Amino acid sequence: MEENKNLTAERSLEIIRESIERSQRTITRNSALPMIWWGVCVVAFSFIIAYLWANHGGPVWNFLWFVMWIIGYAGEWLIAKRNETVPSTFVGKTIGQVWATFGIFCGTIGFIIGLVGGGILPMELIVSKNVFIVASITSVISLCFGIATTITGAVIKNRVIQICGVIAGLGGFFGALHFLDHRQLFVMAAVAVIGLVVPGVLIQLQNQK
Amino acid sequence: MFQPLDPLLHSELRLAVMSLLISAEEAEFPYIKEQTGATAGNLSVQIDKLSAAGYITVEKTFKGKRPCTICRVTPTGIKAFDDYVKTLKNYLEVGKKS
Repeated sequence: MEENKNLTAERSLEIIRESIERSQRTITRNSALPMIWWGVCVVAFSFIIAYLWANHGGPVWNFLWFVMWIIGYAGEWLIAKRNETVPSTFVGKTIGQVWATFGIFCGTIGFIIGLVGGGILPMELIVSKNVFIVASITSVISLCFGIATTITGAVIKNRVIQICGVIAGLGGFFGALHFLDHRQLFVMAAVAVIGLVVPGVLIQLQNQK
Repeated sequence: MFQPLDPLLHSELRLAVMSLLISAEEAEFPYIKEQTGATAGNLSVQIDKLSAAGYITVEKTFKGKRPCTICRVTPTGIKAFDDYVKTLKNYLEVGKKS
């Protein structure tokens, strides 16, 4: 770009639009690989934990989700290092905060239920003795998952991600309620495919065009 | 009567730099260079002009052992950019009517 004193008003507005759009595209482009990576992690751990739960000692294997968080963050760090440097923007920060909130809520719920399940905390801490509830943590996490994906889609103005988020969230919420055993993890895997892998692959394909 | 356009912003490269910084809280020099397609020398000159006018701040720091230049838009820069866009719109509206 050169110094140009004869810029027309149209050309000036075009430069502004192009610059802002290009910056937006870079952020969207860089979100593809982390989405696919986290989706693959959730799918892989869902199957591993479901197998162990069904064949080797029950739901205690859910503690492996914490191992997944560590592996997931390590992988994301490597992806971020490989990706081009993206400036700190409101959009990028908002997406980061949405997923951090998701992680804190779901991680805390999982941790507390894990302590109750392991007999370290009393059952009465999470549910009264006189109340019988049919609840599945997978159902709640799927809903949070869907909400986070839908907000991400809204922030980066990507309709496909929004739709995937709605399907993953609502489908996972009701789908997981049908299974109280290890099969609820297959629902979790499906939620990860619809809510993370599919949008990530679609963005990646768009990038390659 | 047309309001004059801010001559500092009425340049392709400086306008592109300001547009990038308006949409970002801060950006590193290599990112701005890549996004604008400008040469390092030319970009440095234009950034210095924007900085001298108080439209942006330039922080020279280190990322590990490598030097790193971070640019941020200032409230004065945001106001100038806002005024520039408003004036542009005014030009276009008048152009359409005539």
